[in-house]
Amino acid sequence: MLFFSFFKTLVNHEVTVELKNDISIRGTLKSVDQYLNIKLDDISVVEEMKYPHLSSVKNVFIRGSVVRYVHLPAAAVDTPLLEDATRREASQAVAKAKQG
Amino acid sequence: MAEAEDAGANPVNEPLDLVRLSLNEVVFVKLRGDRELQGRLHAYDSHCNLVLGDVTETIYMVDEEDEGEDVRTVKKQSEMLFVRGDSVVLISPQQ
Amino acid sequence: MANLPPSSTHAPGYPPAIPMRPGEPNPFDQPPQPQHMMNPMMMQQQQQQGPPPPGPPSIPQLPPQMFTTAAQLLDLTDKKLMVVLRDGRKLIGVLRSWDQFGNLVMQDTVERLFVQGLYADIERGLFLVRGENVSLLGEIDLDKDDYIPEPYQLAPVEKVFALKKAEDAERKMADGRKHKRLAAEGFEGEHAGEAIL
Repeated sequence: MLFFSFFKTLVNHEVTVELKNDISIRGTLKSVDQYLNIKLDDISVVEEMKYPHLSSVKNVFIRGSVVRYVHLPAAAVDTPLLEDATRREASQAVAKAKQG
Repeated sequence: MAEAEDAGANPVNEPLDLVRLSLNEVVFVKLRGDRELQGRLHAYDSHCNLVLGDVTETIYMVDEEDEGEDVRTVKKQSEMLFVRGDSVVLISPQQ
Repeated sequence: MANLPPSSTHAPGYPPAIPMRPGEPNPFDQPPQPQHMMNPMMMQQQQQQGPPPPGPPSIPQLPPQMFTTAAQLLDLTDKKLMVVLRDGRKLIGVLRSWDQFGNLVMQDTVERLFVQGLYADIERGLFLVRGENVSLLGEIDLDKDDYIPEPYQLAPVEKVFALKKAEDAERKMADGRKHKRLAAEGFEGEHAGEAIL
């Protein structure tokens, strides 16, 4: 759930999603779900001449499993808070494993 | 370093605990797709999804020459990067 | 429209929970959506949660029901979409139905091939696409619909298909050589071990 929450804080920020098939799409992050599927609005495709099929597309839904990277604005990320939340999530995962 | 107290409060039991010790440190990450990353680790989870800051990505490519094949690298920089865990092969502290 | 369940649990601490006290009108209440769009297979994906602890709102209030697969796909239903599959195929059609796995039913589907400055369309009719094969869904802007960027020109299907087949075969061979060389350096390709092309 950590990254789901993380991405929710980035809604309305401009990000660039790089897919595993090498397409890079810049756009405004509008939505994310628990599988880290991503919805971007108002997209522009990097090297768009290479990808003519996306020329009339304004909004995309990207399946989480095909994402390689999401490039983020550093200013939008509170790194100490993120690290704290990571430690908490990690110890929760350990506790859950012990129970189960 | 916080490792001493960290080891007491949160002993290293499983492999991902080693990653926890590298939080806020520079790590080296090997990925599928002939790629490597080096950056400061800010977040991870059990899938090995990562958030890295100040990242250098190294992509390995093959130039096909007549004499044979040449491996070259392309480097890219990113100020903040989310990396999806299913690409991660290994995570290691960078000395 | 029936009240949608509150959003999935937040991870502890990041971010501070959205303070939505029960009973208070949600300022971002969306207008009711057409009832016939409610997919009967839409599952309750989120767990019910008690009211989140109050705290200073550090992020703008967002309607919690936005953050589900269902909400995202509902938005795209009955729209003309460009679907890109993992094997590189491009399908254009109207999204009629979907489920929690992202399986899709598309009507009046056309497969569009692009190669070396030429393109061609193949009529495919009604398609059921298994979700795991989908790379992305793009909503086609109807104002720019059928805009094919320069320099692509329409060409007969047989010719485009043959060219594409040759191009794909060449690329596959080049990839094979490349991965063999990089495997010697200790690398593996993106799709090593996966049952795809």
